[in-house]
Amino acid sequence: MATWTWFHRLASPPHVYAFARRWTPWFGAFAAVAMVVALYGGLVLAPPDYQQKDAFRMVYVHAPTAWLSLMIYTTMAVAAGVGLIWRMKVAHAAAAACAPIGAWFTVAALGTGMLWGKPMWGAYWVWDPRLTAELVLLFLYFGYMGLRAGIEDPAKADKASAVLAVVGVINVPIIKFSVEWWNSLHQTPTVMQMGKPKMDGDMLWPLLLMFVGFALYFVTVLLIRLRAELLRRERNASWIREVVA
Amino acid sequence: MKATALVAARLVAMRDLRLAFRKPSQIIQPLMFFMIVATLFPLTLTPEMSRLRDAAPGVLWIGALLSSLLALEFLFRDDAVDGTLEQFALSGQSLTWMLFAKTCTHWLLTGLPLALSAPIAAAALGVSAEAMPGVVASLALGSFAMSLVGAIGAGLTLGARRGGVLLSLLTLPLAVPILIFGARATQLAITGGDIAPPMYLLGAIAVLGVTLAPLAAAAAVRIGLE
Amino acid sequence: MSEFFAMGGYGKYLWPAFVLGFGIVVLNLVLALNSLAAARKDARRRMEMSQ
Repeated sequence: MATWTWFHRLASPPHVYAFARRWTPWFGAFAAVAMVVALYGGLVLAPPDYQQKDAFRMVYVHAPTAWLSLMIYTTMAVAAGVGLIWRMKVAHAAAAACAPIGAWFTVAALGTGMLWGKPMWGAYWVWDPRLTAELVLLFLYFGYMGLRAGIEDPAKADKASAVLAVVGVINVPIIKFSVEWWNSLHQTPTVMQMGKPKMDGDMLWPLLLMFVGFALYFVTVLLIRLRAELLRRERNASWIREVVA
Repeated sequence: MKATALVAARLVAMRDLRLAFRKPSQIIQPLMFFMIVATLFPLTLTPEMSRLRDAAPGVLWIGALLSSLLALEFLFRDDAVDGTLEQFALSGQSLTWMLFAKTCTHWLLTGLPLALSAPIAAAALGVSAEAMPGVVASLALGSFAMSLVGAIGAGLTLGARRGGVLLSLLTLPLAVPILIFGARATQLAITGGDIAPPMYLLGAIAVLGVTLAPLAAAAAVRIGLE
Repeated sequence: MSEFFAMGGYGKYLWPAFVLGFGIVVLNLVLALNSLAAARKDARRRMEMSQ
């Protein structure tokens, strides 16, 4: 049964390690190319926006970082859930690897957002639903990492933090839909919505390419961190000898 | 199946109440803390009553939040230490229901007294008498939601070092919606507006908490006891 | 060229935003690689000690 072999390989640390080692450079290379091309497309080729003029170009760094902060948390919660339900060590390792990356990109989203908010809204910060919820996301990441650090037994730490990750995932749809549910200063979705995107073609393709680049980049960094996690966890396993020698 | 779960829950609740009255300090300390925090604000902010009244919702809710975090440590700790929690988990009865019962009695002993004594703190902050019922109602419902949400963090940090600080870090993100709507309700009560909309939202959060929080707390406790 | 850097007057917000965002991109890559290097070193040391 080919599907079960695939699933079992996914659960086996040496297989995952080998996969990560082989494919990381490729993901990384494609990510870099996509980001550079998208950057050129967004900063140089795209015309200025009618309302925001050149300031709109900040979308090319702010939107991908914000999207990543949410996507990483969701990945972390799914991995944690899989680890809890199917008791897969690799899944718990993946969740642990996600956390610091996600926290950093939440900081990036908040920071780039503040720099965009000042010229557009006149203020670095407003307590509107989306910004507040994104800040809560940062606290959730810190709580997750803090809980992991605070529990001695690694298996318990895995499971307890997994419960926290799953409970906190409710924040992700709140962030995503907050601009539609409440009166918010933050812009409503222009790209990821039903129907045609509201953005101009010349402005849109660099943004989509940037999303692709960031997604590939996340996989790259995740695979690197996952390898480190697996090495740390599988302390005395024989497969480590071959890998490290 | 359901009937025995409720019986077990009721027994747990009765036990908790009886034990609490033997150790009243666990009830009085968080209450005193709330009073002190609420009265410290006028000392540090301003003696002007009108300005204090503006700040009153924030002061009352921060005080309630901090007091709540203090009280949450008592929710599971004693029972975890002497092995009772383990007995609950092994008993074959629904741990979810038993923890829900514990959370409810916890609120009756900490959140409700806090809400009922809030008028004293509120009066010190320049809140008028007509606003008091709204203030009490918003704090009562909000503190109930806080106890539910806090039970999850309390369960998760049972086996952790420096559990108290970690508990605050974990509970804070989950408590933010309660804070936002609760403070809004209190503010509307003080300014004389309609408190129904935020109270409904607070109620919705409480209902969500009632259905999901005891489940998550039970999962957390089981992990901690392994 | 200086027009490019001015970005219609928004340059002083836009460039720090890009530096921050892509700085964090580079930082995370570096941190991840460091973490892997440290884990490998650690594993190698353990192998040697147990032999």
